Amino acid sequence: MATIEVQRQVLPILGNPNQGARFYNPELPSSEPFVPGHRTCAGCGPSIQYRMTSKAAGDNTILVGPTGCMYVANSSYLCTPYNVPWAHTQIGSAGSFTAGVAAAYEAMIRKGKWKGQFPNIICEAGDGSASDIGLASISGALYRNHDCLIICYDNEQYANTGIQASSRTPYGGMTTFSPPGPLVPEGKKLYPKDLARMMAAGHPHCYVATASVGYPIDLMNKVRKGLNHKGAAYLMVYTPCQKGFVYETPRSIDLGRLVVESGLYPMWEWNPEQRAYDYSFRPASMRPVSEYLKLQGRFGHLHAEHIANLQKFANEQWRMMGVQLPEALLEAADAKNLVNMAAAEEAATVAETV
Amino acid sequence: MATATALKKKMVRINGCVAAAQAAKYADVDVIAAYPIRPYTATMMALAQMVANGELDAEYIVADSEHSQLSISHGASSSGARVFTGSSGVGVQFAYELYSPISGSRMPVQMMIADRTLDPPGDFGSEHTDALSTRDMGWIMGWSCDAQEAFDNHLIAYRIGEDPRVLLPQMVCQDGFFVSHITGDVELPDSGQVKEFLPPYKHPYPLDPRHPVSHGPQIMPEQGPPLQLERARAMEGSMAVIEEVHEEFGKIFGRHYDPWIEEFMTEDAEVVFFLQGAHAVTAKFAIQHMRDKGLKVGLVRLRTIRPYPTERVRESLSKFKVVGVIETNMGLGSVSSGGVLYAEVCAALYEADKRPLVLSFMAGMGGEAIVLKEFYWMTEKMQAVQKSGKIEKRTHWVGFEE
Repeated sequence: MATIEVQRQVLPILGNPNQGARFYNPELPSSEPFVPGHRTCAGCGPSIQYRMTSKAAGDNTILVGPTGCMYVANSSYLCTPYNVPWAHTQIGSAGSFTAGVAAAYEAMIRKGKWKGQFPNIICEAGDGSASDIGLASISGALYRNHDCLIICYDNEQYANTGIQASSRTPYGGMTTFSPPGPLVPEGKKLYPKDLARMMAAGHPHCYVATASVGYPIDLMNKVRKGLNHKGAAYLMVYTPCQKGFVYETPRSIDLGRLVVESGLYPMWEWNPEQRAYDYSFRPASMRPVSEYLKLQGRFGHLHAEHIANLQKFANEQWRMMGVQLPEALLEAADAKNLVNMAAAEEAATVAETV
Repeated sequence: MATATALKKKMVRINGCVAAAQAAKYADVDVIAAYPIRPYTATMMALAQMVANGELDAEYIVADSEHSQLSISHGASSSGARVFTGSSGVGVQFAYELYSPISGSRMPVQMMIADRTLDPPGDFGSEHTDALSTRDMGWIMGWSCDAQEAFDNHLIAYRIGEDPRVLLPQMVCQDGFFVSHITGDVELPDSGQVKEFLPPYKHPYPLDPRHPVSHGPQIMPEQGPPLQLERARAMEGSMAVIEEVHEEFGKIFGRHYDPWIEEFMTEDAEVVFFLQGAHAVTAKFAIQHMRDKGLKVGLVRLRTIRPYPTERVRESLSKFKVVGVIETNMGLGSVSSGGVLYAEVCAALYEADKRPLVLSFMAGMGGEAIVLKEFYWMTEKMQAVQKSGKIEKRTHWVGFEE
C-alpha cells in the first residue's frame, strides 16, 4: 500500500518565559482561535488559559471540549467563541474522543484523503473530567501515544455544576459537596490527587508539565513543547475560579502566581527523552500558604491546625522539587505559630528566595 | 456497472465475526476501535491481523473500554474518517452514553454487534437485549441470520448511514454464536463492485481547520426540540434511502433483500412466527416439517427494526389469524411482561382493519438454541388460540410450561 508521509508542525518557543502577565511580548502570534463573546464569569481562570493556549497553538488546530465550564459557558447556540474547529464530547470521553480525531488525521493524511500539515489536536478537559470520570480515557490516549495535547484546566472542583468537590479539590477547600460543619471543621478532608505526576509516572514517553495562568509565557511555551512533541502530551494548568474560590475578580492572575509562590502548585516539566523531572522553574518569591489562602472565601473556615496541615503539604512539595526551605516556612507548618483564618493576615510572613 | 465476467469474486467459508471484519476491509475503513468481549471479539482479531499483514491501511486502536471505543469512533467520524467498532452484551451497555451524542451529531459510525445476554450472571449466550436496549437512540438497526447476510448488511449499512440525506450511525447486529461463530459459505465480492456501490465517506461538516465548525454546542431548552425533530426526520427519511440502497445492492451484487421483512411460507398461512435473526434458520426447517404434515404455518422475519417498518409489519401480519412473537430479549415488566418485540408488533397492528391474535414467546433466552420441538410446541399454542379465538395466556416461557 502506497502511503503518504505525515508532515507535522513545529512551533517556535517564545523568549522571556518568566515575565509577568502584564508584559508585552511582540513574539506573540496575532491569531485568536478563542475570541470574546462567551458567557464565562468575570475573571474566569479557565477562559484566560483557553485564550493563551489556543493562541500558542495557532489556526491549524482542532479543539475538543469535554463537558465542563469550557463547554457550557463558552458555547451557546449559534455563538461559539472558537475560531478553529471545536467539538463537544462527553465528560468521560476527553482522551478517547481526542484519540479518535488524532487517529482519523493520521489515517486520512496517510491515505491521501486529507492534504496538509497534521493539525494541533488539543483537548481542554476540566479537572473533574481529567482526574475522575475521564481519567481512564486520558490515560488510554497518553499510553497509546496519539499525537495530541491534553490540557487539564484545573480549577480544583466541578464548577459548571455549581461547585462540587473533585479529586483535585485541595484539603480544606469548601465546596457544596465538602462543606465545613461542626463534625468536619476543615470541609474537604482529602488531599488532592497528584494527577500530573500520575500521568508522567504512568506514561513516561509523554511530555508532561504543570503550569499556571500566573505565568502566561511559560504556559504558552509548555503548550508549544507539548504540541511539538511527536506523540501525546499532558499539561495541567492552574486556573482559578472566582465563583468557587470566592475572591475579588481582578485577582485571578495574582492567585495564579501566589499558588506557585506558596508551593501549593509545583511547577515542573517531565522530559520524556531524559526520563527525568525538570524542577528548574523558580517563582520570584516563596510565601507561606496563608498568603494564598486568605484571599479566598473557600478557605475562610480553616483553623490554625488546618492551615498548618496545608503548609506541611506545601513544604513537602518544595522538598520534592529539591528546594531548601526557609525557616519561616518550617515555622508556619506548626499550628502554634498560626491563628485561625479569620485573622490569617496576622500570621503572614514572607520569605524571599534567591 | 461491472460485468460478471470481469469480476474477481471468491467463495470463502467463514463465520459471522470474520464476515463482518471482511466487510470492514472491503469498506476500506480508516479507524477501528477495538475492545475485547465475547463473542464479537473475533471480528477485531481478524481486523488486527489484516492490519498487521498490510491488507488494510487503518488506525487500529485498542481502546481502554467500550465507552472509549464509541468516543474514539465519534471523534474519528467527526473528523471525516470512516469508522468501524463493535461490541457484545454488557459492553454495548458500557458505551450507552455515546449512542445519543453520536446520532445527534449525525455521525455515521458503524458498530457491529454480536449479541449476548446481559449480566447477571456471566452468560456468553446470545440474546438481543443488549442492542435492543439502545433501539430508540437514533441508530439504524437490524439483524442478519447468517454470515453472508452479515457481510452484506455491513456494506449496505455504511452506504445508508453515510448518505447525505441520512447521516446516521448504524448497529449491524448478528446473533452471538448462532451467526458469529457458525461457519458458512460467503461470497466475497470484487473490490470494483464495492467501489461502485460504496463511495468514499464525505461528511459535510467535518472538524477541518480550513473550514472551522463547532460541533455540539450547549443550547437553550427551546433550541432542543428542533434538533430532536430533525433527527427524527432523518430516521424517518432514511426509509426511502434504505429501499433504494437495497435495490442497488441487488443490482450490483446479485443478492436481493427486502430491507424490512422476509416472509417464508406465508402465502396460505394461518399462524406465523415473527422474529429477528438467526433462529429463523431453525424456524424454516420446523415450518417445512410442519407443512409436510399439512399445518398452515409460516414465518415473518424482521430485518430492520430501526427505522421500524410499521406499515409493512401491519400489512404483512394482518393477513394471519395468530402471530407468535419470538422475543429472544428481556422486557422485564413490559406490556406483555415478556420481551419488547410484542409491543412493537401490537402497536403496528393497532390501526389494522383485521387484527391477528398475538402471543409472546420467551424462547432462545440465555443463548439456548430454539429446537424443532419447541417450534412445534409454540405452533400448537398458536393453533389452540386460533381455535378458541381468544388469548388466555399472552406470554409463554418456552420450556417452562407443559
